Amino acid sequence: MGLHSSILEAHQIDKRFPGVVALEGVDLMVGAGEVHGLVGKNGAGKSTLVKILSGALQPDAGSIRLGGRTLPSLTPASAQAAGIATVYQDQQLVPGLNVAENLFLGREPRTRLGAVDHARMQSEAGRALAALGLQLDPRAPLPRLDMAQRQQLTIAKAVQREGRVLLLDEPTAALNKTQADFLFTLVRRLVGEGLAVLYISHHLDEVLAIADTVTVLRDGRRVGTVAADALDKAALVSMMVGQQLVEETPQEAPTQPVETVLAAIGLRLGADSTPFELAVMAGEVLGISGTLGSGAFRLARILAGLERPVEGSMTLEGRSYAPVRVRDAVARGVVFLPEDMLREGLVMPMAVAPNVSLTNLREVAPGGRIRLRRERRATRELTRELAVVPDDVEREVRLLSGGNRRKVLLARALFADARVLVLEEPTQGVDVEARREIHRLLRSLASEGRAIVLATTDLEELVQVCDRILVLRKGALAETFRGPATTPQALLASIVAGTAPTERRAP
Amino acid sequence: MTPSEVRPKPLQRLRRALAAPGGQGAVVVTLLAIVVITAIGNPRFLGIQNILNVLLQISILGIVSVGQTVLLISAGLDLSVGAMLSVSALAGGLVIHATGSTLVGVAVALATALLIGTINGLLAATGRAHPFIITLGTMTLLQGVAIVISRGSPINGMGKLYDIFGIANVLGVPTPVYLLALALGSVALVLRFAPLGRYAFAVGGNEEAARLSGLPIFRIKVSLYALNGLLVGVAAIALSGILDSALPAMGTGYELRAVAAVVIGGTPLFGGRGSVWGTLFGVLLLGLVSNSINLLGIGANLQYVVLGAIITAAVMFQRSS
Repeated sequence: MGLHSSILEAHQIDKRFPGVVALEGVDLMVGAGEVHGLVGKNGAGKSTLVKILSGALQPDAGSIRLGGRTLPSLTPASAQAAGIATVYQDQQLVPGLNVAENLFLGREPRTRLGAVDHARMQSEAGRALAALGLQLDPRAPLPRLDMAQRQQLTIAKAVQREGRVLLLDEPTAALNKTQADFLFTLVRRLVGEGLAVLYISHHLDEVLAIADTVTVLRDGRRVGTVAADALDKAALVSMMVGQQLVEETPQEAPTQPVETVLAAIGLRLGADSTPFELAVMAGEVLGISGTLGSGAFRLARILAGLERPVEGSMTLEGRSYAPVRVRDAVARGVVFLPEDMLREGLVMPMAVAPNVSLTNLREVAPGGRIRLRRERRATRELTRELAVVPDDVEREVRLLSGGNRRKVLLARALFADARVLVLEEPTQGVDVEARREIHRLLRSLASEGRAIVLATTDLEELVQVCDRILVLRKGALAETFRGPATTPQALLASIVAGTAPTERRAP
Repeated sequence: MTPSEVRPKPLQRLRRALAAPGGQGAVVVTLLAIVVITAIGNPRFLGIQNILNVLLQISILGIVSVGQTVLLISAGLDLSVGAMLSVSALAGGLVIHATGSTLVGVAVALATALLIGTINGLLAATGRAHPFIITLGTMTLLQGVAIVISRGSPINGMGKLYDIFGIANVLGVPTPVYLLALALGSVALVLRFAPLGRYAFAVGGNEEAARLSGLPIFRIKVSLYALNGLLVGVAAIALSGILDSALPAMGTGYELRAVAAVVIGGTPLFGGRGSVWGTLFGVLLLGLVSNSINLLGIGANLQYVVLGAIITAAVMFQRSS
């Protein structure tokens, strides 16, 4: 740290929420020209700290200094004006405008008559983007940009506005490997020009690779700030968790699957894709993977009744299964747990208990009257079994951390007594501990005789949790892996086999 | 204290204090303020006769607002309730005149409102447009229907309805107040104990999550709009009894006052939360404001200004999340 003069300093930040201390006496110093990693488990206080630095939340106590000057209480606008730019997914971009217009929004070059000088704006945008090594067409309308390109544009916009500190919150969450690598190059280039970057991520390898310094939060306190090259993953994890952890893999001996629960014949995902068949056994975790557009996620959604195949028939427990709506699938005991919980899964303003009972409310409403006490008791049993923290089913779901929200979704599936659980990326954005916990739960659910279908692009997850893994390419089943001999490398090779190198839309 | 120490600003603190609990603090405080000021200005205000008078005056708006609460909780909205009220009261009045039977008239009025509510629900549940726009359309249509079926003139004489709702008291309390109590109580029970009520919160809080949980979204929405229609029908019967007539524009204005009462009562426009008890506070606030303006002798022309200012202030002070 000594190398860098710190540009952003947070001193003794306290933040309380009703019943929770989110941050307590947290210090953070980010130097000009450094990438500063910020890690911690879910609920450790990372998001709260980022929100405070970006002005979205007001701290209860503490001060923030930028370039040696103490900032008065921050709002998102004043933080931006001071040079602290936060890059979330793409919410700072206007969909109706093109790349250059977004880049210059609010500070468009003018002609002498005061009209927007489009020609100059396009050419200046082109220069600015090229200077950052970005291959974005200034005239491209926003909807033509993929997630990675939108993120690049957001970063360019921040830099363009004399940003001095860049807050990147889980910047690789929506990126594939190539896109992530490009992002790292961009970040290094910006840092080389004297920018300070605060990099928040669950991916510890990523943080260790890109950060110069890492600050670890645990339970709202700063555990330490360490130079990244003095750290390895195990050391980082133990700082985050607070105790030494043994390496990985909760793999129990896979149970012997016997009975076919869900089967499909002549399944065709796209108009010109090859039909294939598939069987999911009771007691197994079946992995499904593939690149974007391979049909892996579409297959999962077809099994859960969210989408329909072009052709093919399915059976569930021996009887014909042709769900037209999700409701039909749920009625047959097939429950889908979406990746995007906030948007698709949970009812945030409702408490834990009604969220858990939602799919099968009749269970606690005999004669059409909800028995609130019975509902609380029944749902509490499940949330305890899944170790949802805090142990309070009357708490609103929006007050829970990401890992615990996922557990609430799992509890809902259990409450509905699902025979088949279809999950999408169940551990995306979850911390190390919650991830193991969820993996352990999936295994134990399978061992109770349920069938688990796990659609994920997380190779370690596939290898650790699944009994069988189906790899899809171009809408068809390409390869099946089974048994403990499967390695992430072999899987990756199969997933990308025969696909062209990742395309970037040419500007 | 250094300038950097961030403390909640006074306004924020005030807002937080007012917002707790259940988001109705501001309304309660405003209510108390009105009561105190008016009681000082005019001692008759707290007299039993005046209180009963206020309750009677809010009963119709209250019943309509209870229905709107259910819709707003589910992120729905029905702007046609005023016109719906007029049409069903007119239908009831026409039937009473044609058949001479009050009972048949009541049944027709209720059935008309239920049918219109259901149709609004069917339209809204398609999701082709926001319910605001859809029911703005049906509102205009129904206003036209009201004029057509009444040929633009009032239907005077509503049979026994006048005896039942116009002049009758039970234990000294005007009968429409009992209807409001019944509407409040039964809908509160539905919201808390019936699966339909629970689903209203789920659909309003996150429709996609409700869909993925296998809930019959379409049927839920239609049922909620139908329930709202039924309540509007009850209000139509009571109001035509009070007036002893049915008028083509008798319901005009109820739609916006009902939405105002619901929102003042802490149910957000985007759904997922809310209660009929909050709405009761909202309705009381509107009713007491009108009443105190009268009792304080503020001119009729200023009424709207004061009422509008209080509605705006109450909503601004509400907890935003």
